[in-house]
Amino acid sequence: MLPEPFTTKFLAQLEALRLRTRKEFLGSHPGSYSSPRRGTSLEFADYRRYAPGDDLRYLDWGIYARSDRLYVKVFREEVDLFAYVFIDASASMSFPSVAQKFRPASHIAAALSYVVLANHDHVKLHLLQGNSAAHASPFYRGRRRMADCVQFASQAAPSGTLDLAGSLGAHLQRIHRPGKAILVSDFLMPPSAYQSGLNLLRAFNLDIAAIQVLSRQELAPNFGSGTLELVDSESGATLRQQWDSKRSKNYQERLAHHNSEIRSFCHQSGIHYSLYVTDRDLGDFVLATLPKIGLFK
Amino acid sequence: MEFLNPVALYGLLALPLLLVPYLIRRKPRRVLFSSLLLISESAASPNIKPWGRLRLPPVFFLQLLLLTLLILALAEPVFTSLPSNVAIVIDNSASMQTREGETTRFTLAQAKARALLGEVANDGQVDVYLTTPRLQRVRANPLAPSEAAALITALEPYDLGDPPIDYKTVLGRLAQENKYQRVYLVSDHPSRGQNSIVRVASVGSSNNKNNFALTSFGVRRTALANASTSANIEVSNFSPKEERLKVVVRAAGKVVGQRDLVVGAGATASASIAGLPAHAYYEAEIENRDALALDNRRFAAGNAATALRMLAVTPRPEEFASLRNIPGVSLDIIAPADYEKTARIGYGLEIFHFAAPATLPRTPALLILPPDANSLVEQQSSVTRPTISGWREPHVLTRYVNFALFRPAYARPLKPKTPANPVVEISQGPIALAIDRTSTRQLILGFDPFPYLGRDNLPMSIFTLNLIDWFFKEGGADGRATGESLTLGTSGDAKTIVTPKGKQTLTGREQAVFTQTYYQGIYRVARGSEQEMIAVNLQDSGESDLRSPAVIDIAGAEQDNARLPALSSYWPYLLLAALALLLLEWFINPRLKLR
Repeated sequence: MLPEPFTTKFLAQLEALRLRTRKEFLGSHPGSYSSPRRGTSLEFADYRRYAPGDDLRYLDWGIYARSDRLYVKVFREEVDLFAYVFIDASASMSFPSVAQKFRPASHIAAALSYVVLANHDHVKLHLLQGNSAAHASPFYRGRRRMADCVQFASQAAPSGTLDLAGSLGAHLQRIHRPGKAILVSDFLMPPSAYQSGLNLLRAFNLDIAAIQVLSRQELAPNFGSGTLELVDSESGATLRQQWDSKRSKNYQERLAHHNSEIRSFCHQSGIHYSLYVTDRDLGDFVLATLPKIGLFK
Repeated sequence: MEFLNPVALYGLLALPLLLVPYLIRRKPRRVLFSSLLLISESAASPNIKPWGRLRLPPVFFLQLLLLTLLILALAEPVFTSLPSNVAIVIDNSASMQTREGETTRFTLAQAKARALLGEVANDGQVDVYLTTPRLQRVRANPLAPSEAAALITALEPYDLGDPPIDYKTVLGRLAQENKYQRVYLVSDHPSRGQNSIVRVASVGSSNNKNNFALTSFGVRRTALANASTSANIEVSNFSPKEERLKVVVRAAGKVVGQRDLVVGAGATASASIAGLPAHAYYEAEIENRDALALDNRRFAAGNAATALRMLAVTPRPEEFASLRNIPGVSLDIIAPADYEKTARIGYGLEIFHFAAPATLPRTPALLILPPDANSLVEQQSSVTRPTISGWREPHVLTRYVNFALFRPAYARPLKPKTPANPVVEISQGPIALAIDRTSTRQLILGFDPFPYLGRDNLPMSIFTLNLIDWFFKEGGADGRATGESLTLGTSGDAKTIVTPKGKQTLTGREQAVFTQTYYQGIYRVARGSEQEMIAVNLQDSGESDLRSPAVIDIAGAEQDNARLPALSSYWPYLLLAALALLLLEWFINPRLKLR
C-alpha cells in the first residue's frame, strides 16, 4: 500500500517520465540510455570501414555506390541506468516535524525512484547520517519494487548530525557503476560542507541532481517576539536570542542568500538544482518544476 | 492647578515599579530549530547581560500613561481661580500655645492665615472666625484682605479646649449660608480629605509629643476648726517615656511647697503637700520644660473664710440659736417668706428647715423635713423614735456617730425623686439622702437634728458637726474650668471682675454669671467691699495630650455652592482618558504579542 501522494494517476504520470542524464554510462543490460559503446540501437553513431565478418545488413550501400568503398553503419549502444538516491536523514530533516519535512523528502525520493523503476532501470536508496554508510537499500528494478522503496524510506528515522562529504564518501565506496545521483537534502550546512559533498559525487563521474527540501517554518520562522533559547536540532547547541520581526527578516535574507549560493554552485558544476518547499504539492513539483530544470527527458 | 487629594500623588513615586516586569529577564522560550547556522550568523551581538537588554514595547508607554492618568485622577486636580469671598477659621484652642521651636503653633497659624490671604482676590472680602469658645466671627462685617491680616495678627489663643465642633458639617454649612467660595481652617489638628470649598491648613509637627500636665490642684483646710491647709496635686505624663517631674506650689510669689513625682508614660500620679500657710490663692507648676507650658500651671483659691457662713430659712428660729455655739460657724436666720427677698451672698450653706426653695440655690443646701411640695423627695408617714438600721460607711456624715444611740424624736422616711445616696436608714427607708454633684452638695434629712444640744445628745451633735464639716469642705477652694461661667450671685450690687490678664469688667446689677473665663488664672470678683477669688484652670486632657490629635475629616463635605465656583474639577476627564487608554491597550496588546 503506497502512501497518499502515490495515487494511480500520479504513478501513471510518473511512468511517462524518464530521467535525463548528461553523461553516458556503461550499463549492464540493454536499456534506454546511451552508452559510450557502439551497439545495436536504432540511433546512428558513425561509419567504419567494412571488415570481414561484419553483418552485411549494416553496409551502407549508398556510399558504396558513390565511392566504391564498403562502409558499415555503427549504432549507439543503449544500456540501463543505475540511479542512486541519497536522502539526508539528519535531525534537521525532522524540523518542524518528520511529517512536514523528512516525509515529503522521502516522497520525492520515492517518486524519482519510481521514474527509474518504471523504465526498468536500477535504483538504490541511501540514507545520509553522520559520516557513515550505515543505511543503504539494495538495487531495485521494476515498478513492483516501488513498495520496497517507499518502505525503506519511510522506515528511516532522521537523527543525529550529518557530515555530507564523509557520509557520501562512505556510500560511494560501495558504488561501482556510474550513473545518476540524486541528493535530497535541506543543505542547511556551511557552503564548504555541501560543496565538498557535491564535488565528491562529481569525482565519481555521477550525473548529479540536488533537490533542496525546506519547510515553510524554515523559510519564515514564526517564533513571535521575545527572548528565545534556540536549540540546534542536530548539534544541540543553544543560542539565546531576542527574536523580533527585524531578526526574522534578517534570517530570511540570509537563507535566501544561502540558497542562491547553492543554486549558483550547482549551476557552475552542472548539477540540476531545485528547491522544494514541503507545503507545496508533490505532484506539481515533480511533474512541473523538475522537468523545467532538465531532470527529465 | 492644585489637587484636592495630594496624597495620591505619592503614587507617582511607584510608577518606576512598572519597569520591573520589563527589567526582569524572563526565562526564554526554548525553541528547537533545524539549524542555527544562519541565525547565529545573523546574531551580530549576542546578548550576554544577565538582566537582558531593556526593551520597552509601545504597550509599556501606554501602561505608563494609563497609570499616570489614574493617579492624577485620584489626586482630584482642580483648576483654581482667586476666590473673592473667603472665611478664615483659626483654631485658638489651648493646644495652639504648644511650642514649635522658638515660636508657638498659634503664631504659625497666624502666619499661615496671612499667607492664605494671598490667595484672595485684591478686592475680595474676608471673614475671620475663631473656634473657641465657640465658632464665631471676630468682626461682624467682612474685611479687606489687608484689614483681615491686621486682625489676625492681633488675635490671641484662649486657654480653652476644643469645642465639640463637627467641622465636616459646620464649615460646609458656613460656606453655604454665607456664600463663601472658600473656607480655610487653620488648626493644629491633622486633616483627612479635602474638598473644593473647605480647606484645612495644619500647623505644627506631629513629633512634638512630650508633654506633662497638672490635671488637678486643690487646697483645703483640714477641717473647719483647723486652719492648716493641704494641697492635692495630680500630674499626668503624656510623653512616651517615664519622667521625673518637680512640682512646686507658690503663694504670694514664694515657693510654699514642692514635690518630686515619677510618672510613667501615659500615667497619672498624685500627691499631697500638707502644712501650707494660708493664702488667698496658690499656684502649682511643673518645673520641667515640655511642649505646652499652659497646662503645667494650675491655680487654686485659698479658703479665706475662717467661718462657715450659714443662712437658716426656718419658721422656728429658736431651734437654730444653739448652732452659733459651734466654733467657725456664723448664722443668719430668716423666715421662709423672706427667702426670695434676701440677698444671699457669701453663704457657704443654706439650711431650709421645714421649708424648701422654689428653685434650689447654687450654694450647698441642707433641707430638713421639707414640705411635701418639693422637687427632691417624697416623705412617708412619720415614725416615732426610729431605730437606725443602716448607715453608709465610711462617710464624712457618719463618722464617729454611735448609731445605736442615734434616736431622733421622730423621722419620716424619704423617697428620692432625683438620684441620691442614702446615708442613714431605718427599716422603713432612708432618712438622710446626700446629693453630691460636682458643682454643689445637698443633704435632705427626714428628721430634725436641731436644736444642737452638744453633749446632751452626743450622737446627734456629732452628726451635726459632721454635716457642717461636709458642707464646709464644699465651700472651700475648688476651682472652675476655663470656659465655665462664674456665678456672681443675685444681689443687687454691681460687680467688678478682674481677669488674670488684668482686664476689668463691670457687670450690671442683674448679671448673675460671668462667662468670659477664657484664660487660666485667678479671677477676682468684687462685690462692694467683699472680694472673692475664683481659680479657673484648663480642664481638657485632649489639649494636653499632643500625641494623637483628633483628625479633622472634611472629605465629601462639599456643599452646593456652585453659584460662585472657585474651583473646577476635571478628574472625571482624566478618568475617561485613562479608560480610553485601557481600551486601546486591550485592543492592541494581543496584536503586539501575536506579531
